Amino acid sequence: MKTHVKAAGLLIAAMTAVTALLGGCGANESADGKTVVEIVQYKPEAVKAFEALEEKFNATHDDIELKIDSPNDAMTILKTRFIREDYPDIIGIGGDINYSNFLDSDMLMDISDYAGLADIKESYLRNAKELEFVPMDGTYAVPYMANAAGVLYNKDIFDEHGWTIPTTLDEFYALCEDIQAAGIQPLYFGFKDTWTCLAPWNAICIDLAPSDICAQVNAGTAKFADAYRPVAEVTKSLLQYAQPDPYAYSYNDACTAFARGESAMYVIGSYAVPQIKSVNPDMNIDSFVFPASNDADANILNSGNDLQWSVMAGKEDKKEAIYEVLDFLYEDENIQTYLDDQSAVPCKTGDFELPSMLDGMKSYIENDKMADYQDHHYPSEMAVDAMIQTFLMDDSDNDLDTFLEKFDTEWVRYNRDLIAKVQKFYEENPDKLTEGGNE
Amino acid sequence: MKSKGAQERKRTFLLISIPVIALFFCFNTLPLIKGFIYSFTNFKGYGSYEWVGLRNYIDLFQDARVGKSYLFTFKYAIVGTILTNIISLVLALGLNSKIRCKSALRGIYFIPNVLGGLVIGYIFSFIFTYVLPTVAQNLGIEALSSSMLSSTGKAWIAIVIVGCWQAIAMNTIIYISGLQTVPEDVYEAGSLDGVTGWKKFRYLTMPLIIPFFSTNMVLSMKNFLMVFDQIMALTKGGPSQSTESISYLIYNNGMSGGQFGFQSANAFLFFVVIVAVSVFQMTVTNKKEEQL
Repeated sequence: MKTHVKAAGLLIAAMTAVTALLGGCGANESADGKTVVEIVQYKPEAVKAFEALEEKFNATHDDIELKIDSPNDAMTILKTRFIREDYPDIIGIGGDINYSNFLDSDMLMDISDYAGLADIKESYLRNAKELEFVPMDGTYAVPYMANAAGVLYNKDIFDEHGWTIPTTLDEFYALCEDIQAAGIQPLYFGFKDTWTCLAPWNAICIDLAPSDICAQVNAGTAKFADAYRPVAEVTKSLLQYAQPDPYAYSYNDACTAFARGESAMYVIGSYAVPQIKSVNPDMNIDSFVFPASNDADANILNSGNDLQWSVMAGKEDKKEAIYEVLDFLYEDENIQTYLDDQSAVPCKTGDFELPSMLDGMKSYIENDKMADYQDHHYPSEMAVDAMIQTFLMDDSDNDLDTFLEKFDTEWVRYNRDLIAKVQKFYEENPDKLTEGGNE
Repeated sequence: MKSKGAQERKRTFLLISIPVIALFFCFNTLPLIKGFIYSFTNFKGYGSYEWVGLRNYIDLFQDARVGKSYLFTFKYAIVGTILTNIISLVLALGLNSKIRCKSALRGIYFIPNVLGGLVIGYIFSFIFTYVLPTVAQNLGIEALSSSMLSSTGKAWIAIVIVGCWQAIAMNTIIYISGLQTVPEDVYEAGSLDGVTGWKKFRYLTMPLIIPFFSTNMVLSMKNFLMVFDQIMALTKGGPSQSTESISYLIYNNGMSGGQFGFQSANAFLFFVVIVAVSVFQMTVTNKKEEQL
């Protein structure tokens, strides 16, 4: 009997030791006494720019050591680290549902006292603000870079045939007919990667549906079935101008095909340009805003926060060092380093050299005619991208109704806790309903 | 009254097993218990969470996507297990007979198992998207002239092909080792009674390799049920969610989506299902075992 007790004791001791070993990671100071600031950012394609910035920072600072991680699939890595309660200092993520979730889980620090916020363009701060599930006090993200989505086109092909940029939906259809008549493939899609289904969807959404439709549905004042009907119709109409069986090709395949001139246009975001240029570095790419409405003034540019910085909660003791790192990242020449490497729109005000492929969208950027991607409000586990893919593949007569009905029921199913929370909030603060609803 | 030496021996065995039990507990039992606890919460994988009681389990049985993933996984696993076992048994019989270059052939047939699932997936993805349709178009085969991976009806067959191609290697090796345990004198005795061909296989070989057959059935069923890499590389659950396996759904929605609590419940249910399937297979095949 005694040996049994001893064995049990040993077992427990061994287990505690292993658990302690596993938990004891993460350091605040490097060996030589410098404060370590660790950034994890989610754009692996920008790793070169960030390596250069990291090196430059460490060469000029004696008291702070900057570490920038740019892993593949950073969101999964971050979430896995969060489960282990191992937090980096700054996270660089997109302004999407993940940001909303992190914020809702009280994981981010209020940084409204950061001086650099004054230089950020208003519309991008608004994008970040709109991502809050319920209106919060304070600021939790500093937008860094934005991207723009719409239609990329092959400028050489367009110039050769004298085609012009369409400003209404009818003009767009007419253009596609012309391109087809000239024996060229108008559009190319990579719908095998389901997320690419969201590229045309988003660009069409902001022209045809209210920008706060998700918040309206959560507050119980609207239904997707009405708001998304025209969006779904236009999205599906694009298929007649696409290559046969677009579900067989991935994002990489589509980028490669567009780069080789196999199609004249490609409905995707500016983030695809580095990939396209890697296939064909000399390609002459320009872009225009997707004209989903027949009222030219109703068409707006789809531009969202592609990369924004948030400070993790509980890092107050390192705040000075963290703000110094942020200041460094926002220095004009460092932003230009990033812009030269990636095709992006800086969120800071100032005179930056924009990539030439954004020429067709410049007037929208300057006039602030921009709205965020709708999918930034969709919960990723709901898999709206796969739902759109299913809808596009559905040949039956009632495909539209099936899709819209499913959208509304699934939305309620996946957002149950959130809807309850939002409605409770508005019950307690009825005065905020109009304010929150219109933003 | 036990002797002192025997007691000391016992203690040594105990000391040997304790670290293993501790490690097993830390990396296997503890996560299982933790997952089970999380399955009663609306935990997103980080941050604060609330207890929701049995809601996740009730939702599991009402969620169409989860139901579809179970249907797909079982369809895939049953077809895959049957195909793999038939083909690898035939291969093993061939590779165990007296043929030339036996060792070299055995080596070649084992290669698919050495390659990683993702690598194989990407290679086959290229074959299914570009090579196969081109060949089929030139031969005029209508059914295969577009990519198998883009059709909701055919994508799962493509995954079965890749999964079997890889799983057959290991099963063949197990069958070969099984065939080598069958003593030659059994066949000699059989040949005196005039048993040949199919009868020889059915009444002599098969009963003697039943233990290997049951091992193979359980192992490949379990591996096919937990299919993940092939789906990740070939279809990512598409087209239109028709090839979402249970493991893929758990990973995708639990880790990158915010459903950690719900998918923990799914994972626990899946664990129970796999245990039940394995126990069922063992009891059925154990009854058929013969001892010499």
